[in-house]
Amino acid sequence: MKKFVNDPKQFVPEMLKGIQLANPGKISYVPDYNLIMRADAPNDNKVSIVQGSGSGHEPAHVMIVGKGMLDGACPGDVFAAPPIDYVVESSKLLNSAKGVLHIVNNYTGDRAAFRDAAEELEDEGIVVKTIFVDDDVAVKDSLYTVGRRGVAGNFFVIKAVGAAAEQGASLDELVALGDRVNNVIRSMGMALTGCAPPAKGDPIFTLAENEIEMGVGIHGEPGRARQELTSANEIVDQMLEAILTDRKPISETETAAPIFNEGDEVALMINGLGGTPISELYLLYGYAHQQLEAKGFKVWRSYVGEYCTSLEMAGMSITLCKVDDELKELLLAPAEIPIRVF
Amino acid sequence: MAGSSLEKIELVVRTIAQTSMDNEKYFTDLDGVVGDGDFGTSLASGFGAILEQWDSLDRTTGESFLLGCAKIISRNIGGTSGSIWRAAFRSAGKSISGKETLTWEDVVTMFRNAAEGIMDRGGADLGDKTLLDALVPAVDAFEKEMKNGGNTQQAVDAAAKTAREQAEVSKAWIAKRGRAAYTGERSKDTYDAGAVAVAVMVENIALRAIQN
Repeated sequence: MKKFVNDPKQFVPEMLKGIQLANPGKISYVPDYNLIMRADAPNDNKVSIVQGSGSGHEPAHVMIVGKGMLDGACPGDVFAAPPIDYVVESSKLLNSAKGVLHIVNNYTGDRAAFRDAAEELEDEGIVVKTIFVDDDVAVKDSLYTVGRRGVAGNFFVIKAVGAAAEQGASLDELVALGDRVNNVIRSMGMALTGCAPPAKGDPIFTLAENEIEMGVGIHGEPGRARQELTSANEIVDQMLEAILTDRKPISETETAAPIFNEGDEVALMINGLGGTPISELYLLYGYAHQQLEAKGFKVWRSYVGEYCTSLEMAGMSITLCKVDDELKELLLAPAEIPIRVF
Repeated sequence: MAGSSLEKIELVVRTIAQTSMDNEKYFTDLDGVVGDGDFGTSLASGFGAILEQWDSLDRTTGESFLLGCAKIISRNIGGTSGSIWRAAFRSAGKSISGKETLTWEDVVTMFRNAAEGIMDRGGADLGDKTLLDALVPAVDAFEKEMKNGGNTQQAVDAAAKTAREQAEVSKAWIAKRGRAAYTGERSKDTYDAGAVAVAVMVENIALRAIQN
C-alpha cells in the first residue's frame, strides 16, 4: 500500500512534530512521551484532561487537544496503547491543583496502561480519576477487549467533560458527567476496506470487492459479520437498527433497557474512518437523519466528518447521543482545536 | 526489613528471573502453539532488565524491593503481560507493607495477593487455563504442608509438585483467557505456557532452597 512515510518508526513522532509546528504558541510537544499538550496547561483552576490510546485514529486524540477539549494526549505507536511511563510522565507534567482526569477507550491494552499509571501517580500523591468509554454496540468482547469497545462516541464524552472542566467543575463532577454521557451514547461501525499500519506495510485484513465488515472496531478488528455489500441506505438501516434496539449487558444474564425512545432529542454523528470522502458521509447523514425523524426522534445537531479514524480505512461509524438541556449547553460551548480553525 | 526475610525474597525473585532467562526459547515455543508466541520473549525482557538493575534496586524494605521490580517490569514488558506481572509483584509488595520479618503465613498472603493482582488485571479466573491454574494450587499446597507441621523445604517441594501436576492437568482444558482463547477447541491438549512457566519456576525455587 502506498503511503507518505520516511521511516515507519518515525511515523508518529514526525506527525506530532507537524502538529506542533502548525500551531505555534498553542500546542507544546514533548517528544520523550509522544505528548501533545496545550501550551497554557496545566492550569490550577481547572482539572487537566488526558487521553492516551494508540495513534492512527486522528484527529483523535492528539488533534483534539485545545481549549474546551483535552489538555494533553500521549498516544502509543499506531494502534498500540501508550507505554505506562508516557501516561505517568504526561500526567505529572499536566498535574493541576484540581487533579487529573484520564479518559480511556475500553480496550484491554489502554485500560491496563492507564490503571497501572494511575496507581503509580497515586503513590506520588497525584490525584487521578478515570472515565472508561464503551459506546460500541457491535460486540460484547473483541480481540482486544474485555467488554464493549470505546469508539467514535468518545468525542461526546471529551466535548462535554472538556466544557465542564473549562467552567471549573471538580474532578468528581467530571467523572460523574463523563459516566453519564457514556451511558447515552451508542455507536456502530463498518468497513469497506482494511487499512495498513506504516510499520506493517500490508493491510491488516482485506475485503473482496463485494464484501463489507459490519461492526468493526477502530483497529479493523472483526465485528459482527462479514457480509455482502448492499446499498448505502440498507447499510444505514442495519446500523441504526442495531443502535436503537441495543440493550447493554449489565451482568452475565441481564441487559439494560434500550436508551433511545420515541420523542427523544439526539445528536447524530456520521464519522468517516479515514478513507471515505465527505460527499459519501453527507449522503449517509441525509438518509440517517430522515430515518430518525421518521421514527419519531428529533435530530438536534449533526456531526459529520472524521472524528475517530482507522488510518486510511474506507468505512464509517454512526453514533447517536441522547441530549438534554445540560448536555446541549456543554456540547455547544466554544472549543478550539488544532484542526478546524479558520 | 530483617536480613533473612529480604534475602529470601531476593532468592525467590532472582530464581524466577533466572528461570525466565534460561527458558526464553522453551516458553516462547510453548506459547507459539496456540498463543501469539511472545510469552518467553516478554518474560526475558522484563526479568532480564531486573537482573541488569539488580544491584540498584531499593532494598529499604521487602515492599520497596518488590515495588521496584514491578516498576522495571512495567517499563520492559508491553501490553497485558506487562500489566499482569507488574500487578503480581506490586500486590505481593503491598501485602507485606510495614513488616519487619515474614512468617510463613505472610508468604502465603503475599502469593495469594499476587494471584489476585493477576486475576484483577487479566480478568482470568481459576479454570480458564492460565498461569493461575498452577500458581494458586501451588500456594494451597504450600499452606497445607506448613499447617500440617512441615518445614519450609517440604512445603516448597509440595508446591513444586502441585504446580507441575496442575500444568499437566490443565493441558486438556480449553483456554478461556489470553490470546490462546481465540483458538477455542484448538487450545485443547496443548500446554498453557504460563502454567508450565510457573511449574518450572517453583521447581527451581525448591532446588535453590535446598542449596541455601
